[in-house]
Amino acid sequence: MKNCPFFKNPLALIIVLGVCFSCIKDTDFDQATPITLTPIMDVNFMEFQETSSSFLDASGTEMPFISDLIVLEVLSSDFIHDHLTKAELVFEVTNSLNKAFQIKMDFYDPEDILQHSFSIDIDNSPSHIPLVTEHTEVFEAMSLQALKTSFKLEITITLVSNATGSVLTPDSEGNLDLISNGILYLEYTQ
Amino acid sequence: MGVFVSLHAQNKQLLYGFKDVPQQILLNPGAQVDHRGYIGVPLLSHIHFNAGITGFSAFDVFADDGKDFNQKIRDVVYKMDAKDFFGFNQQLEFFSAGLSLQTSLDKFVYISFGMYQESDLFSYFPEDLAILAYEGNHNNLNRRFDLGQLNVSAEVLSVFHLGINKKINSKWTVGLRGKIYSSIAQASSTENNGSFRTVQGADNSLNHIFDLDIKLQTSGLSFLEEPNANEGLAILKKRLLFGGNLGLGIDLGFTYQPSPEWTVDASLQDIGFINYSKDVKNYILDDYLEYDGIQALFPEVVTDQTAQDYWDEVSTVFDELFEIDSTTTAYTKWRPIKLNSSVSYNFGKKTDQECNCLDKSDPTFQNRVGAHLFAMKRPNHLQWALSAFYYRKFFKGLQFKTTYTVDAYSFTNVGLGMSAAVGAVQFYIMADNLLDYQNLAKSQSVSLQLGFNYIFKNNEN
Repeated sequence: MKNCPFFKNPLALIIVLGVCFSCIKDTDFDQATPITLTPIMDVNFMEFQETSSSFLDASGTEMPFISDLIVLEVLSSDFIHDHLTKAELVFEVTNSLNKAFQIKMDFYDPEDILQHSFSIDIDNSPSHIPLVTEHTEVFEAMSLQALKTSFKLEITITLVSNATGSVLTPDSEGNLDLISNGILYLEYTQ
Repeated sequence: MGVFVSLHAQNKQLLYGFKDVPQQILLNPGAQVDHRGYIGVPLLSHIHFNAGITGFSAFDVFADDGKDFNQKIRDVVYKMDAKDFFGFNQQLEFFSAGLSLQTSLDKFVYISFGMYQESDLFSYFPEDLAILAYEGNHNNLNRRFDLGQLNVSAEVLSVFHLGINKKINSKWTVGLRGKIYSSIAQASSTENNGSFRTVQGADNSLNHIFDLDIKLQTSGLSFLEEPNANEGLAILKKRLLFGGNLGLGIDLGFTYQPSPEWTVDASLQDIGFINYSKDVKNYILDDYLEYDGIQALFPEVVTDQTAQDYWDEVSTVFDELFEIDSTTTAYTKWRPIKLNSSVSYNFGKKTDQECNCLDKSDPTFQNRVGAHLFAMKRPNHLQWALSAFYYRKFFKGLQFKTTYTVDAYSFTNVGLGMSAAVGAVQFYIMADNLLDYQNLAKSQSVSLQLGFNYIFKNNEN
């Protein structure tokens, strides 16, 4: 200590004390709470473009319905389970066939128990002008839980006969197109 | 809010040209030396610490103002951009010494050498990724989320150096320092490209475009997997002593003193590289995908493929998209080169007016004023700082230097350094951003250097 100049120079001491006693004012470090992020992600969902022949059997006769099954593994992922707070599925269906349809979406869990279902009614287009039908299915609370437990989606397009509609043949003019996207409301806390 | 103080990691504007502190020669190997030799007190001769961030201060987030914490974090994130950065630099000198050697009757060279450990961490703020995390792509259709903004590097290394300094004549002093770098551990992800975009689709509502080109290079991290802590420590010790990934570098510098009053000096530090070949592990994510959703395929339409098959295909494509390749390819990195230069004017010699029985006169100038420029190569930009300084010798054993530094962000950086000696033992301490010491939370950068040396003075001193 004898040789330590530090204690012999008052100015040095002042600097060091200045450093030691510099303060942190008007702050509250206890307010640090986990940070919550709430991004909204737009993701592509499914699409199809069908002509009249999609609804006909080998002999060219109308089938009552056609269906497909999509496995939605992503819905049962931990990430979705933990962080999805709301979801919307936005569908835009364009029909220029002179045939009315009902598009039904059935969500099943891995045990094939129906969790959620909705359908979109599509008008026929007698003059083959593209008719646009929009549908937004909102998943919140109970329906959100249903979505999270879902594993499979069955899409059924039922052909609906009405007074102005015609019977489809391989040569029927027009298309039935569907585009869709999901809007995922996420929340994660770090 | 909004008090911008820049980060000056590795700018040692107080130490540069501070003749009384032997470690100044590490900043300019061609600096003027006015002692015969010195020995640094082992582990205590140079302790340097600097941490800083641009764009915000702790006060912006932790101010006791009753505002919601999450909202304040959000405000900070939205205030920052991709040019903002965080940096940390620390140096610890293990040992150092210098000695003036007589080569002929009146010719001397000054040899200095030593070894220090350095840690460096640097990261730009990945603005686009932060926005993606905060907002998602919902309100950002067509926005190009730039993955190139991900730019981070970290390294711990030891440096052994040997320098030679020679006063050629009354005007010129030049110097050269050779360095051997031994990298203990290194990780960097600085060569990223690519983007993520969501645009309106042709076949479906949207089209997601993943253009991924991300690379993480690491070396020396295997000790982390070492289950036995002592074994891990042994590996690190070995690497500290040239057992790591090795590199070579030089520092160059000169001082030109056209008249006793005027001095011009400049130096380049760390012109060098490290070759990483041992314990290398690189991770590469390089792929491109445009994804427009699942196509429902009604089995009656195409009998041999169902949407399930299609979904399986999509899953595989995504698995492949995010598949990380790893390699052990060696790589070379340049050290961050640094430039220092200053112009200064000396004035005010001290002479005793009266009795000379206790001669306290000092033939040297007591004051020096000048300007100092610092620049450093960072991955995406040149970091710079300009300082005005005033040096004052109070006694033979007590000198002060104060600096006022400006750079891209800060106009309020005042620093103070002091060297004090009793007999041959010298202590120095330097800190900048002193105005912020009234409230450290408002500071965006904290910098401190201190050390103890044992100095052999010149006979005439």
